Amino acid sequence: MGVFVFLPLVLPLTAWPVARLAEQHLHPRTATRLLTGVAAVMAVCSTVCLGLLMVVGTAQLPGNPLPDGWSDPEVRAAVPHDEIAGRAAIPALCVVALLCARTLWRHRRVRRRAHRALAGLPGTEVAVLPDGVPYAYALPGGRRDRIVVSTALLDCLEPAERRALFAHERAHLAARHHRHLLAVQLAARANPFLRPLRTAVAYTAERWADEEAARTVGSRRTVARAIGRAALVSRAAPHAALASFAGLAFFTGLASFAAPGPVPRRVTALLGPAPTVRRWPSVFTTVGLAVWCAAAGTAVSAMSSANSAVTMLVILHAATPL
Amino acid sequence: MRCSRRATGPRVYTMADRETAGNGGKRQATERGQGVTDDRQRSRRRGQGELEALVLSALREADGPATAGWVQERLGGDLAYTTVITILTRLLAKGAVTRERGGRSFAWLPASDEAGLAAHRMRRVLDGERDREAVLASFVTGLGPEDERLLRELLDRPEAD
Repeated sequence: MGVFVFLPLVLPLTAWPVARLAEQHLHPRTATRLLTGVAAVMAVCSTVCLGLLMVVGTAQLPGNPLPDGWSDPEVRAAVPHDEIAGRAAIPALCVVALLCARTLWRHRRVRRRAHRALAGLPGTEVAVLPDGVPYAYALPGGRRDRIVVSTALLDCLEPAERRALFAHERAHLAARHHRHLLAVQLAARANPFLRPLRTAVAYTAERWADEEAARTVGSRRTVARAIGRAALVSRAAPHAALASFAGLAFFTGLASFAAPGPVPRRVTALLGPAPTVRRWPSVFTTVGLAVWCAAAGTAVSAMSSANSAVTMLVILHAATPL
Repeated sequence: MRCSRRATGPRVYTMADRETAGNGGKRQATERGQGVTDDRQRSRRRGQGELEALVLSALREADGPATAGWVQERLGGDLAYTTVITILTRLLAKGAVTRERGGRSFAWLPASDEAGLAAHRMRRVLDGERDREAVLASFVTGLGPEDERLLRELLDRPEAD
């Protein structure tokens, strides 16, 4: 097995090209599902790998409750540098567990607090709040899914654009985008190399909702205008801009001097033609070839992650005295 | 870009403030040096508007209906319970608060609007969470330094179809 046992930890790097290509060239719906799936598989593999390394690491510590067979030289031989790797895996796994728990806890807390804030209002789907700061959010869960919009944002939009805004938020709720977002966020916590996938899924989920809104409203340009206006108004309010900068991904933030941010890219995409619903581009175009290569690479890396994990399990199983 | 902002501040609060500030200023000009009694009366008179504002803002900070006792505690216990009741009753007469019976006492709510209260609470949630974007899918995210110019260009482009 040798160094291959460490593969699941670094293989998420191979998902970067597929994230970029899927983001740009696939239908947003396909891209969101594909990238979420890839991120989840890789995160699970990487965590299992860490867990196995930790088992080997803890098995050699005196006084552990694990079977003695697990610290046999044969098992240790399967892991190169087992002493260092095994012991390093213990804090690493603890950090992963802590970060994931914190992410889940925060997620629940924000949702609970947001729902509680709206508790006094009539239980309509759309909650319009009189606030000078422009914002609009899709708030899933609670007694019913809700859309929260501030009057400052609504005042800046024309009626058709407001319809686009509501259609966009409804699309988020109907497609349960928060689950995708939570999944990639947990994945990014499990393995930092998966962070670009989180950024990519956050973008493709928005694009997906944009496309749905465009279909509902019947005008791509209206949705584009709504997004553009909302973004410019939010920019004028320093408060909101500051807050969303913090949330805006770190990677796009760093790259934003060269490449346009997510909002202009969404508007550009909407001003262009609708994306093809066909699932995969043809292999005979450059883009198609690249997408297929990247997808195959991702599949291979996910499989070898799984392979390493299974091999370790088999070894440990063989070493366990019955 | 056309954008009319709706004023969202607590209106009753500002009116009360302006009223008292105006009275205080006028009296200060005319009654200088008239003795301690006037001075005390002035502070009491100013107190009424101020107290109403205080009670109202305390009520606004509550997560839902609050009792007079809660308001009294919230204000640091400087006011007598009966004073708080008096002020709340006066606010009720002005239509600034509403009340509902809860057990033996009344629970008070700022009447301005439930929506305003919800907005206040929502803002606290939004401001308090650094990575809320991960939970609540926002309509738009922030713009980078070049994005604004790019966006304006895109939107100003004449319609192709």
